[in-house]
Amino acid sequence: MGSRPGPRLPRALRRVAGGFAVPLGSVIFAFIVGALLVAVTGGDPFQAYSGLLCGGLGIACANGENSALQISTTIVYFTPLIMAGVAVALPFRAGLFNIGAEGQFLAGAVACTFIGVKFSNLPAPILLPLVLLGGILAGAIWAGIPGVLKATVGAHEVVTTIMLNYVAQWLIRYLIVGGPLQLPHGFSVSSPIGAGARLPSFLPNDNSLIIFGLPAGVYRVHTGLLIAIAALAVFAILLWRTSLGYEIRAVGQSQRAARYAGISVPRTIIVTMLISGAFAGLAGAIQIAGVDHNLTDKYFNDTTGFEAIAVALLGLGSAVGILLASILFGALHAGGAVMQQDAGISSSLVQVLQALILFSIAANFLRVLRFPAFGRRPSAPSPTAPAAALMTEAAKAPPEETQT
Amino acid sequence: MSTEPEKLAVDMHGITKAWPGVVANDHVDFSVRAGEIHALVGENGAGKSTLMNILYGLVKSDSGEIIVNGKPARINGPRDAIALGIGMVHQHFMLIPVFTVGENIMLGREPVAGPGFYDYTRARKDIDELTKKYGLRLDPDARTGDLPVGLQQRAEIVKVLYRGANLLVLDEPTGVLTPQETVELFGILRDLLKAGKTIIFISHKLKEVLEISDRITVMRRGKVVGHLTTKETNEQEIATMMVGRAVLLRVDKKPAKPGAVAFRVENLTANSDRSVQALRGISFELRQGEILGIAGVEGNGQSELVEVLAGTRRATGGHVLLGDRDVTAANAREERDAGVGHIPEDRRGVGLVLNYSIADNLILGRERASAFSWHGLLLRLDAIRNWAKRLVKEFDIRTPSIETPARALSGGNQQKIIVAREMGTRPRVLLAAQPTRGVDIGAIEFIHRRLVAERDEGTAVLLVSAELDEIRSLSDRIAVMYEGRIVSVEPADTDEARLGLLMTGGGTGAKTGAA
Repeated sequence: MGSRPGPRLPRALRRVAGGFAVPLGSVIFAFIVGALLVAVTGGDPFQAYSGLLCGGLGIACANGENSALQISTTIVYFTPLIMAGVAVALPFRAGLFNIGAEGQFLAGAVACTFIGVKFSNLPAPILLPLVLLGGILAGAIWAGIPGVLKATVGAHEVVTTIMLNYVAQWLIRYLIVGGPLQLPHGFSVSSPIGAGARLPSFLPNDNSLIIFGLPAGVYRVHTGLLIAIAALAVFAILLWRTSLGYEIRAVGQSQRAARYAGISVPRTIIVTMLISGAFAGLAGAIQIAGVDHNLTDKYFNDTTGFEAIAVALLGLGSAVGILLASILFGALHAGGAVMQQDAGISSSLVQVLQALILFSIAANFLRVLRFPAFGRRPSAPSPTAPAAALMTEAAKAPPEETQT
Repeated sequence: MSTEPEKLAVDMHGITKAWPGVVANDHVDFSVRAGEIHALVGENGAGKSTLMNILYGLVKSDSGEIIVNGKPARINGPRDAIALGIGMVHQHFMLIPVFTVGENIMLGREPVAGPGFYDYTRARKDIDELTKKYGLRLDPDARTGDLPVGLQQRAEIVKVLYRGANLLVLDEPTGVLTPQETVELFGILRDLLKAGKTIIFISHKLKEVLEISDRITVMRRGKVVGHLTTKETNEQEIATMMVGRAVLLRVDKKPAKPGAVAFRVENLTANSDRSVQALRGISFELRQGEILGIAGVEGNGQSELVEVLAGTRRATGGHVLLGDRDVTAANAREERDAGVGHIPEDRRGVGLVLNYSIADNLILGRERASAFSWHGLLLRLDAIRNWAKRLVKEFDIRTPSIETPARALSGGNQQKIIVAREMGTRPRVLLAAQPTRGVDIGAIEFIHRRLVAERDEGTAVLLVSAELDEIRSLSDRIAVMYEGRIVSVEPADTDEARLGLLMTGGGTGAKTGAA
């Protein structure tokens, strides 16, 4: 890559390179600051990061960790992140800031559990679609409420979605701590969902079958991954290949132009939120149906929907970006445990890294990475709005009085 | 003018300023004699503003020298420029609307009576002296935001004079003025000239340039292409220099053949964004195959009228009939589907999604139409691409590709996207609001020709424009709006003076055409 404007990269390549520069720079920035933090507090950054690398991607494992298992764990972590990331990225395109993916995720998990428990006797071909649809619907409702409020009375979606996160979190607490879904006899967990409500794993749950040196049953990679990839494809198609996607993007770019075109801004806002909630709700349902099989107290502190915000921002709201960012965050998540074990560095460093990544994207100070290296005009606005611009856009005052 | 050896107020030599990708000023030589009105003309993007911003210290040139009053000057910022007696009246006024005129004039140079105290008496005395000296009537206690644009501009001029300017740069000063206000401004400029000031007048309105200036410098694409003496030139010569080829200044058109009534508007009322009644009972008929021009000072309801007709603003009363269908309450989508094209006055904010590609912009509002969408669901990308290619060619949109974002194009080409989109679907009615505002002469010529061609094919065209010249050369009939009403409908050959009078609320009564 030439630093002078002279040697030109092909247009498409330059665009891709320019697009990746900022997110990549953010990640590198976060890792450098993270290394400094580790070093200052007396740890060994190299050891820490090799632990992360092993735990996250199964590369360079020094202490006998099983690479295949680590990769499997990472996949399990990033599967719901993809869908929750879409749930944040889609509203971004419409100029809306959905902070409520967490609440929508939990609503989906609750609906899935509820249906899976109440109809536990139904066969899989009926029950599995039912629990997933339940999750989708619950998530859509959870996001639809802020959407309707925004479109009708102008209530800011940032505030309403955050509040609904609390409602969902406390609802789960109520349901499984002395509530109707609690498993009898004490624990803060729900009854397990019926066998027909469970997403099959890729590998048979058969401990006599040894794969990569471990019994097949320990790999928890499940078919939810396929659903997540499909969701990503649906997202990309919706956004770029449909009339609705065109309208969503138009509303996000310029409400006045959208109104001029005859696009109903309130309707588009509501529809966008419904679809976005559906993705997050599906993520929640898949987490129950594919991994946990019941609601547990760990959902009290779940952060999938919050990490999804970072995923959407880091992925610049594009399908490929969301996939890559989800993999990164999933790997960090899975890697944290190994790092703590091998290098003795608290896995909280992972949260610090995530926060640093988000910080550098939000602050947008790496903007400079975009042009000089790729021979772009500094004054020319970037073709894709950078994340910070999306955020500013989303955090703007509620729209003027809406008109159909 | 003086015949002694010319004394230069400003002499700029070899000024070069390159932005990445474009040379805004390419070895520009520009000199202004003391005591003259010097017009700087050129199309948008020709480099006039860059040159003046260099003179005023807002932009630093890459090379070249500036000599002010015979002495080489280093201008590193507006402060240096002001110290040298250079003052700039910007196109968009730098006034605080809630301040009084006096406060605005003093802003940044407030006389003080003791630490931290504003000296009202001194301020008032200073302004009084200044306005008397140059014969500028201005009430220093008026709230600036309440004043008409012409007076705000006057406040801006006084502000510049207060700071001791001997050389005034006026950037497109007449763009926002009514004909009467323009006449007054020219009077003021002549008085300032008599008082020994020098004036640089930036404009693209050639008539005004010919009327007011002594000499003219023409720029095109960053270069000076001509130094002219006003007395020895004419409109056609300047226009040709500006554009680089011969331009058709007059619109060639045959008499209209009006057909059936397309739009019948009856007693229409509507409110502005601030909930003030903007339309107070508008009635008119628009026929197929005619251009009805709406003349008026901006802010007299023209914008609201177009918006109601286009379905983006609700009427509070009255009726709009399209053919025999009542479309008073129709929304923008319904109007568009019924065959109403709309070129909105705010090109960048409303007419385009700037980050969308040209192809995407060319289907704005039709993204669910069966031509571009499979059952309103999936976009027909091939059809969209072909449509875009066709329109780009037919409407001569200069762009590297149909995937280029609209933002990257010049104003004229952006406007052509809108014109292409709204005309490309063969509308029955075309609402054209300020269709050539801020676009270059070449594009103006093109858009004018297309509007007339559209009319000749039977489209009913409603043309709203702040440019009286445009209204008069294109319209078959002219309706004059004043304070939310159509005060008169005039024939196309009505003279400018009468239209100007009607636009400011006078002259009604006689000679009212049938609406």
